[in-house]
Amino acid sequence: MNIQAKPLRPSSKRLIGVTRYDKSANNNTDALNMSSADFHQVNKYRYAGWLCGLIFPLGLTAIDWPFRHLLTPSNILMIYLLGVFFTAIRFGLLASILASLTSVAAFAFFFAPPIFSFAISDQENLFEVSVMVVIGYVTSSLAQNVRTQAYVAERREQRVSALYRLSKELAEAQLDKEIIFIGVHHIYTEFGAQNTFLFPEQLGNLHYPNEPALPVSLRGADLDLAQQAFNSNRYSGYGSDYFPNAPALYMPLKGSSGILGVLVLEVSDERRILPSEQRQLLDAFISQIAHALERANLGEQAKDATLKMQAETLRNSLLSSISHDLRTPLATIVGAANTLETGEQLSESSKKKLVTAISKEAQRMTDLTTKILEMARLEAGQVVLNRQWNTPEEIVGGALHRLDKKLKHRPIKVNMAIDLPLIHVDAVLLQQVLINLLENADKYTPANSAIDITVSTNHSRLSIIVADCGPGVPTHLQDKIFDKFFRVQTESAQSGVGLGLSICKAVVEAHGGEIHVSNRSGGGAMFQLHLPQTEPPPSIEQEDKA
Amino acid sequence: MKANPLLLLIEDDPQFRLLLTTTLENQNFSVLAVDNGREGLILARTEHPGLLILDLGLPDIDGQEVIRRLRMNSELPIIVLSARNQESDITQALDNGADDYLTKPFSNAELMSRINALLRRIAKLPSGSQEYFQVGDLKVELTKRRVFVSDKEVNLTPIEFRLLSELVRNCGFVVTHRQLLTKVWGASYIEHNHYLRIYMGQLRHKLEADPTRPRYLLTEVGVGYRLTEE
Repeated sequence: MNIQAKPLRPSSKRLIGVTRYDKSANNNTDALNMSSADFHQVNKYRYAGWLCGLIFPLGLTAIDWPFRHLLTPSNILMIYLLGVFFTAIRFGLLASILASLTSVAAFAFFFAPPIFSFAISDQENLFEVSVMVVIGYVTSSLAQNVRTQAYVAERREQRVSALYRLSKELAEAQLDKEIIFIGVHHIYTEFGAQNTFLFPEQLGNLHYPNEPALPVSLRGADLDLAQQAFNSNRYSGYGSDYFPNAPALYMPLKGSSGILGVLVLEVSDERRILPSEQRQLLDAFISQIAHALERANLGEQAKDATLKMQAETLRNSLLSSISHDLRTPLATIVGAANTLETGEQLSESSKKKLVTAISKEAQRMTDLTTKILEMARLEAGQVVLNRQWNTPEEIVGGALHRLDKKLKHRPIKVNMAIDLPLIHVDAVLLQQVLINLLENADKYTPANSAIDITVSTNHSRLSIIVADCGPGVPTHLQDKIFDKFFRVQTESAQSGVGLGLSICKAVVEAHGGEIHVSNRSGGGAMFQLHLPQTEPPPSIEQEDKA
Repeated sequence: MKANPLLLLIEDDPQFRLLLTTTLENQNFSVLAVDNGREGLILARTEHPGLLILDLGLPDIDGQEVIRRLRMNSELPIIVLSARNQESDITQALDNGADDYLTKPFSNAELMSRINALLRRIAKLPSGSQEYFQVGDLKVELTKRRVFVSDKEVNLTPIEFRLLSELVRNCGFVVTHRQLLTKVWGASYIEHNHYLRIYMGQLRHKLEADPTRPRYLLTEVGVGYRLTEE
């Protein structure tokens, strides 16, 4: 049998094709067209059909017998005809032919004189019997046709709905893995064949799937045969030109841009795979799966492209930001150092001023590079949190201590209950968040204005509020200020790259929490962060009091 | 005045080595500077320096390895310099036996204060463990196990006192979480960080005027605790 790949056609055409094939198959025995489940069903019906072909006429004979004096022979034959007709509708042509033969025999034996003999003496009866056989055969054929049509329609509907179910599930699948999973399952359900999909690595060599096999997956596919199918874009293995004796069939998965991979299908029940309309259904399945895979790949590529673009934008803004914010202090440092190097005649006080400038600008660069590096670390991938049990007091205290010099003249109020439970956080990063928020408040609010820190916990979350008495944040910028490199005034005198708050956001989000800013009713900005606390704090053994 | 001891500097960056050498020599220290770990280890044995300043990122052997090898047979005080702001590196160096650390960039003043603190500690060591400790209004009598804040005696639990005295013994220096847990609770408590946090909190509430802005019991986040000296 030659089963080369058929060109893909739109599914509507394929359905017409199915109809045509079914019609031509009408007069065959049904077995070849049916799936094996149908086949067993038909076998069962066939025995029942043979039986009814015998019982129906005999039953009618029993009913007619008491009325044999009232009914004419043609009346009786009409009744038999009715039985034959029903048998045809219910059990098909062969059963109805048996029924009509039984009817003729019963009529000849019981009703046509001489009674109790198969001989028919009356010529008129003989003629009527012949006509009945002919009518029986014709009507049975017609009934059989109707039946077949119904069966074909039902099968067609089953195939269409199988295809529909597949495409519906495929439409919802996003990942390659899901698509393959769905494909393998549907092909198994519809064709009763264990199967698997093989895909090439970058060099185009097919390899076994990395994922664990499903219960319905085919194991032990022949990679050489699969590679042959992949390279030649033709079927190989079972029944094809190439190794037709192999137990499995290897079919290329054709996408619009080339061969995506190979479907390997074990032909365990050829009745469910080989008939042409099953083959067409299989082709439709394969093309649906191939298209779904292509769609998923395109989606993935589009996502990659967006990410790349975002990274590109980030890189550009980072570069422009670095250019401005790092070059300015560097210019001062280089310039001042050069002047000191060459200017022997500088006065002591000028020298001192230059040295101070160098040291100040160097400090500024230190702050900037620290932030940039911190952000780069957080950006580099998943933030790995070193979560430990910490006291909120210590984290707040640590942050305040680090900023001791900067915040010397600011009234800072810390509202915190004495007995707050332990929190499960990365202390270093959370302290950095607080430092950034406090530095921010220090930078953007009038000197000596107050800063309030409020810490509270309940059983499921930790909340920290840092509130200042500055000008607040304009409502339309309240989301934006957490963006990287965003500054309310882009070229302000305030040093900074606009990373402090993005670092806060990255850290808080890595903790599964949220951070947002609002304005206090009395004026000033209020940064609120909430971190979920899922684990109950550990207990400690109580110490005996000394 | 006693002559300043010899300082050994292991730092691979030539400019930074030059800067440190100049700065330290300016402070009347003699400085022996090398750019790699192997040479540094040899000099540490042959030249008997009084203190080692060690950069963690070295071209030949890891700075951590230098500390480990030195600690096998030497009590030489070590200050670690780290360019990476990674608490885990610092903690590891301290747990390996380094005495203190500085993160680049640092000011000359910071460096000098760490060096001087370390040298002071060595000078004190031979006379045995100290009896009294005082900083600000906090006073600790180690053998009598008494603690005073503004001349008022404070009652500490045994564990609180053990924790405090461990910090007093290393006053001015950072003591890592691991070291404190081992010394105060025992080696099996190394993973039980929360004990340390809870007791440190209790200690602060008893000893500090404002526990959220401690003056004495300072947190080195991610590394350990330091009891301030001044």
